[in-house]
Amino acid sequence: MNVTRRDFVKLCAFGAISAGVASRYFQLASSQSAGSDEIKMVRSTCSPNCTGACAYHAMVYRGRITSLIQAADYPESDYNPRGCLKGQSMVNLIYGPDRLKKPLIRVGERGEGKFKAVSWDEALDYAAEKLVEVMKKYGPDSIALSIQVPGTGYVHKGAAIRLASMFGWSVLHGYTMNGDLPAFWSQTFGVQTEEFESLEWVNSRYIAVFGSNILVTRLPDAKFLNIAKERGAKVIMIDMNFTPTAAKADEWIQINPSTDAAFALGIANVIINERLYDEDFIKSYTDMPILVRLDNHKRLRAYEVKELKDEAEKLKKEIPEYRDLFVVYDVNEGRLKIVNPETLERDFEPALEGEFEVELVDGTTVKVKPVFQMIKELVTNEYTPERVAEIITPPGRDKAEYAQLVRRIAREMATTKPLHIIYGASNYQWFHGDLKGRALALIVALTGNIGKPGAGISTYAGQFKIRWPLGMWWLFKGRKTNWVTYLLWMNKEYRQSEEFKKYNRETPYPKNDVKAFVFGWNNPFDQHNMANKLKEMAKSGELEFILAIDFQATTSTKWADVVLPGVAWYEKYELTATILHPYVQMQQPAIEPLFECMPEIWIFKELAKRMVAKWNDEELKAQIAEFYPDPALFEKEENARKNGTWSLKLAREIAHEASLKATELMLGKHELTKGITLERLLKEGAIRLNLPTPDKRQIPFWEQIHEKKPFPPPSFPAPLAKTARFVKSGRIEFYKEEDVFIDFGETLPVHKDPFVDTEYKVNPQAKNKYKYAFITRNALYRVHSTHSNNITMLELQDFRPRVWMNPETAKEKGIKPGDLVEVYNDRGKVRGYAVIDPGIHPRVIIFEQGWWSRYLRGDSYNTLTFPWIKAVHLAYFVPGIWEPTTAWNECACDVRKV
Amino acid sequence: MVRYGMVIDLNRCIGCRSCAVICKMVNAQPPGTWWQRVETVGSKEHMVPVGEYPNLSEVFLPVPCQHCENAPCVKVCPVGATWQREDGLVLVDFERCIGCRYCITACPYGVRQFNWQDPDENFRQGFERAGFDENWFADKDYKYGYPKDHRTEDGRLVYTKKRPRGVVEKCTFCVQFVDQGLAPACVRGCPGNARIFGDLDDPNSEISKVLKDRSAFRLLEDLGTEPKVFYIPPARKEGRGGVRYEKEI
Repeated sequence: MNVTRRDFVKLCAFGAISAGVASRYFQLASSQSAGSDEIKMVRSTCSPNCTGACAYHAMVYRGRITSLIQAADYPESDYNPRGCLKGQSMVNLIYGPDRLKKPLIRVGERGEGKFKAVSWDEALDYAAEKLVEVMKKYGPDSIALSIQVPGTGYVHKGAAIRLASMFGWSVLHGYTMNGDLPAFWSQTFGVQTEEFESLEWVNSRYIAVFGSNILVTRLPDAKFLNIAKERGAKVIMIDMNFTPTAAKADEWIQINPSTDAAFALGIANVIINERLYDEDFIKSYTDMPILVRLDNHKRLRAYEVKELKDEAEKLKKEIPEYRDLFVVYDVNEGRLKIVNPETLERDFEPALEGEFEVELVDGTTVKVKPVFQMIKELVTNEYTPERVAEIITPPGRDKAEYAQLVRRIAREMATTKPLHIIYGASNYQWFHGDLKGRALALIVALTGNIGKPGAGISTYAGQFKIRWPLGMWWLFKGRKTNWVTYLLWMNKEYRQSEEFKKYNRETPYPKNDVKAFVFGWNNPFDQHNMANKLKEMAKSGELEFILAIDFQATTSTKWADVVLPGVAWYEKYELTATILHPYVQMQQPAIEPLFECMPEIWIFKELAKRMVAKWNDEELKAQIAEFYPDPALFEKEENARKNGTWSLKLAREIAHEASLKATELMLGKHELTKGITLERLLKEGAIRLNLPTPDKRQIPFWEQIHEKKPFPPPSFPAPLAKTARFVKSGRIEFYKEEDVFIDFGETLPVHKDPFVDTEYKVNPQAKNKYKYAFITRNALYRVHSTHSNNITMLELQDFRPRVWMNPETAKEKGIKPGDLVEVYNDRGKVRGYAVIDPGIHPRVIIFEQGWWSRYLRGDSYNTLTFPWIKAVHLAYFVPGIWEPTTAWNECACDVRKV
Repeated sequence: MVRYGMVIDLNRCIGCRSCAVICKMVNAQPPGTWWQRVETVGSKEHMVPVGEYPNLSEVFLPVPCQHCENAPCVKVCPVGATWQREDGLVLVDFERCIGCRYCITACPYGVRQFNWQDPDENFRQGFERAGFDENWFADKDYKYGYPKDHRTEDGRLVYTKKRPRGVVEKCTFCVQFVDQGLAPACVRGCPGNARIFGDLDDPNSEISKVLKDRSAFRLLEDLGTEPKVFYIPPARKEGRGGVRYEKEI
């Protein structure tokens, strides 16, 4: 499979990509010609799955990238320079020893890593044949596609979705697969997720970070915490462990693992009982005045009420199907009033407290209470600072001091405005992560800290967020993909359980199970919960075909049947738009793709073409030229094949042009991208989205608070009707009335101890046997598993994985610094070298996720984790917005010296 | 007269080591060689706190060459290979260095590195430790680093991508960029905005203004080396929540 140096030079020396394709864009890019003695700088965007999307300059000399440095060209200079040590050393991956060179077909056993290098034609034909075979046997939805976060690349990842939509494959949503979906967002606000851009942090006066290690996981944004402090903000860090972020904070509060909900509800207790809440805000924007029936725990509907029935029936016709008519008790008029769900303009003065009797249509009466009253009772009875201190205080610390702390922090948070809460992904990747989020959202809602500069709650995980509708490119002529939830795939027992049958209403599953797995841009055989299960499925043949697309050989490509070499983000045109800063940016080719690597849009086009030829769908056969956004480009390549002038070089040029066309297509029509053209992007670098806020700043819910538009704002790509039904009142909802919430006692945010509903439920022995929480945090030196093989990053870690623990744990287990230790449970194990860290909670063991199994003696840290599924996540199904999400940290373990 | 210096604000430093990495990549340092390091003060492991609960702390300290005004390395160099340029940069002439390493002994900051072997050998060993036999870069001739040699006006070789065996090397304040009117890579590549580079002699430069406004210290000041790298000390927390500013770390 080795390509000789001469071949390589031939491939590299194609020089300017302008030749052949006459296009104004290529003229723009043609200055990067190789071979000259000049140093060229090419602006691109670094975009692994960290959501950073940092602008970089590639320094190109004689056709090679010699180094990468932050471009620092954002129009708001405060953002400069975005980028970190991983992006800076990306050349180690582009040119590294794991770089793929040619298409590969497996010749050994699965996982053995034996392949033969083949031609593109052979690999593509073989893959297409296998995929069609599976489709014919089990149906197209038995093929599962995982492309991880599409925000990192709308064009090429979009091409994968486009292919999936042609045939109706099942797509695995990376956001839930990764545990990044903070379920409280959809439950409370009806959105996928929202966050401030980091430049907004400096407008806060109080920043409370609940378990988010910003100084390690958000390197380009971390400075804004420092700048906020310089401008007088107080930063507090609530975390079970001390971290670099805790070191920068004004105050670190250590609490027990996964007890943030109790802390937040204790804060709510103080805010409510000391009347520190913003009364007008909660009456106008939340469901707190809405009445709930005490007999069936459902919200009172206007058309159930005798005196409101006629009015309600009239109104019902005027509101969309996804809304509903709820009721408040108006204190001025002394009667019940209907809440208009289509506006936040308030025409009532509701009672927040008390209990009322209501006569229903059938003449019976029921007792009702406002949601606020119920919250007040809940926090007064269950979450006094003293009760909260019982839950959150770490072993050996003073509980009375913690009770005082809850009071002080509550007063500080309620009175220092604007308040911003940052809720960390590691913190919500627990079974009851949604409850913690709902409790934290309660603090910002009670204090009116939503929709204003520097005031809100943010979560920062996953480069998931789709900024505007992209269906015109992602979906082939309006066709639809299917979806499969990763956890359901991994957890057959749950899929067949009574609980699933009882509560699942919409969550789909392929009728003949998943039989083929296609993945790109990810490393599921290391990185996914559970890695061993995936390997078993591959070994047993349950998975009949595995196809991997990547630019380097990873643990996962080793498990594939066919490996297709894609490109790094300095070898293609790509459109990116991510979360932490609301800019649209391009990636541009700084160099020709190395060896025989090809832009992914071409790979998916070729697969589509070859599959269509074998698949019985005349419509698709007739339309296949339209896979590329301009059919002429498709035809051009086909003609070249016919007349013998086809070359890899020509295919690349056409693929580049198709990428640009797809970009133009996507930038096309939406209000948010108006005026953002391809030409401008290539010239200016980064352009802000047309957000409806002052200075186009990313301030979530601005329109709700200032323009009184009902919740939720849209979460692309889902249509509003799909997500608005989560919050039928059009308001921020703390009361959830679906049966599953009632059955599990989660109608209101409550605290539930970790492991009780998971580890200890399936194995009561676990409570004594595995008393440590296995936390797999993010490392400074990797973006998940990307850069695991980066030589410079490895050097900074002394080439070895570590296990962090409290000195007490080490003493108890007879472990010394540097000892090789094994962290294990009944499911699996992982080994690393001990680091004794006084900042780690005594009930916690930490391993840094992302190490490839070759650095872990063949193990994976994900052999310990388990695909738990929480029933309330089945109440609705909208992919990546409301579906079961991974809870990595809900994992009990023990540790021993080996 | 221009006299270059650097300020590193330890409040702003997030300990991410991007400065060390960009320095390594741009200045073609092979595995095993670092011109710049960032450590957690008092701790054996980076980003592991020191102290006792609840008063744990992590202070990150980046240490590049201090470009001392009164540089001990310059004084001990028997052949004049290390010298201080008029603009204050302390540089090594690779063609004149005889590898005696007196300067390494003399430098109190430990920033000087010696090429015991051909840098290719460093790469080979580095990749071997990382689990690869010999196939280091997929493209055999590939090495990262600013591609062109750089000579001072009087012709002295102060940057070359492939350093000869047996020479001493260290941070040059990225002389190849400074001579093009650009700031050093670590300054341009610091996501924490912790560094300021500029002319200490120009009272209107940003660096001069910052040094006038903020109290700064230098490493091992009592040695009289007169470093041109200044540090703004981290704010020190007193108990829970209170913040006290103090000069010493």
